[in-house]
Amino acid sequence: MKTPFGDRFNLPELGNDLRVAFFLVFKAITRGNKYTLVLTILVTTLAFINIIFTSSIMNGAISKAYQQAQENYVSNIVILPAIDDKYISQVRQLKTSIDTLPGVISCSSRYSQSGLIRYDPEKDNLDVREKAWTIKSFNPEEEIKVTSLQNYMIAGRYLEEGDRDQVIMGREISGGYGASFQISSLKGAKVGEEISITYGNGVKRDYKIKGIYNTYFPLADLNVFITEKEMESVLGLHNRASEVLIKTDGSVPERVYIDRLRTMGIEQEQINVWMDFIGYISGLTQTFDIVKNIVTFIGLLVAGVTIFIVIFIATVNRRRQIGILKAIGMKERIIILSYILQAAFYAFLGIVAGLIFIHIGLVPYFIRNPLPMPIGLVSLALVRSDMAVAIISMLLVSVVAGFIPSWMVTRQNIIKAIWG
Amino acid sequence: MEALKDIDLQINQGEFVGIMGPSGSGKSTLLHMLALLDDVTAGTIIVDGTDVERLSSIQKTHFRLTKFGYVFQEYALLPELNALENVCLPLMMLGAPAREYRRAAMEMMETVGLSKRAKHLISQMSGGEQQRVAIARALVNHSRILFADEPCANLDTKNSGIVMNLLRRLCDEREQTIIMVTHEPEHMQFADRIIWIKDGMIEKEEKPG
Repeated sequence: MKTPFGDRFNLPELGNDLRVAFFLVFKAITRGNKYTLVLTILVTTLAFINIIFTSSIMNGAISKAYQQAQENYVSNIVILPAIDDKYISQVRQLKTSIDTLPGVISCSSRYSQSGLIRYDPEKDNLDVREKAWTIKSFNPEEEIKVTSLQNYMIAGRYLEEGDRDQVIMGREISGGYGASFQISSLKGAKVGEEISITYGNGVKRDYKIKGIYNTYFPLADLNVFITEKEMESVLGLHNRASEVLIKTDGSVPERVYIDRLRTMGIEQEQINVWMDFIGYISGLTQTFDIVKNIVTFIGLLVAGVTIFIVIFIATVNRRRQIGILKAIGMKERIIILSYILQAAFYAFLGIVAGLIFIHIGLVPYFIRNPLPMPIGLVSLALVRSDMAVAIISMLLVSVVAGFIPSWMVTRQNIIKAIWG
Repeated sequence: MEALKDIDLQINQGEFVGIMGPSGSGKSTLLHMLALLDDVTAGTIIVDGTDVERLSSIQKTHFRLTKFGYVFQEYALLPELNALENVCLPLMMLGAPAREYRRAAMEMMETVGLSKRAKHLISQMSGGEQQRVAIARALVNHSRILFADEPCANLDTKNSGIVMNLLRRLCDEREQTIIMVTHEPEHMQFADRIIWIKDGMIEKEEKPG
């Protein structure tokens, strides 16, 4: 069988060739130039960290977006009214049934109603700020089992069941507390201040801002909430809902619950999983994947070129020595193998050093100091498959980087190699 | 351009042959061809009954490893290896067990008088010592023919004497065939036969002394 080394494939012979190659590499590394060794490993370490860091940040951002959607936006599953209906009816009975489903942690019903929010900070009609938003309601005791908004209050307090004339709102609607979208907000509404809401059905109520939350997730932070009791009095409805949020324990994929809910008798209503509500994030994921691939490719190229240069310089400097080794009967494949092993060794140490730095340096640092991004505070998310691909690619690139220069030099005529 | 022409030469086992001639005469080319380091465009070279020019590149490599030994003028040792490890290398390539190749290499180091310097790195040895290590490496695999290309070119008189005496002793005691290129007239006395090359042809053969 022909091999790239131009020799017959003979296992015992190959084993011995590997033994000699390992011996040469071991001696070349342990007795070679330590500065070259350290610098080469440093560059391969940095290239590896670069690959892992970039993909981990992007994975962290995607994973954060998913987590935010589930914790603070729509939980795991959302039941919406049938296409021709405005509300889901018999909601209490429905929630009781849903709570009996295996894997369901809890559920919460919400009303949604459009409303015009009026904010007059000085109450003098000179600087009135009016914006139309969707006003939502929930039962606070139910909601805290389904979403985590209560953990993200940056001012004031969360709603309580008996609250009738109070609202909580996201930072992006208040426009204060470092909001990102100040222009389309109330431009600085604060806790304790008053607003009035004119609902789509013409009902007008005055409220005090009880609390302001900030999840860093724009879809969640662009909401105004009142209590369910207050909304039912505004709408004149009872035991209905615009949506029912269901939190599951994650033991089975959310889509499995769709069949279970249908079997339970929810036939007309629309049942969606959280992924259906964050289409734009799916687009973002695809973009991140492209960027990840480009960065990984460049990182591998940097590592490959570095190792190539090191091996190339080593082989050119030892051209005479390689000629002599061939003259005394050393097979070309032993020489090539020794340089491939040397290159793989550089890459291996770079990977190990990179992994150590990532695990004891970068990951703990970003857990303590997450990056503020428009979707939340993002830490590194190390994905095993991405890391495996990076490690295997790095080793493959090093093998190629070791093979090409050594193959080029060993192809030379012995006399030319020795005497130039 | 013809580097060599009409060369008809027979070298017997255990013979120490010196090849001499002026620069550019073709003596090194002849040595390279005999040692399978360079290709022959016409003619044949028979070693131990084998027409070596018919061998493939891989077979030639194996032939060089098992039948030939080389000593170059610039020692040609691996700097990362110590003296003993350099000598071990041909036996390692032949697949000898570690204990066996270490023992054989140590014996060769004793033969060349360097057993006490076995663990020293090449950079810690003198030119003469390095050349003796190169001779030990060339002979450790019991090669049939030792090719020496101006082995004393970089050595002082004292070390030249040591190396040439060693080669002569190996020839006498081990019936080692040696083919040596040299341009030093004082080395003629160590050889059994001197072949003079001029303009790519054998000008004359003579026995020294």
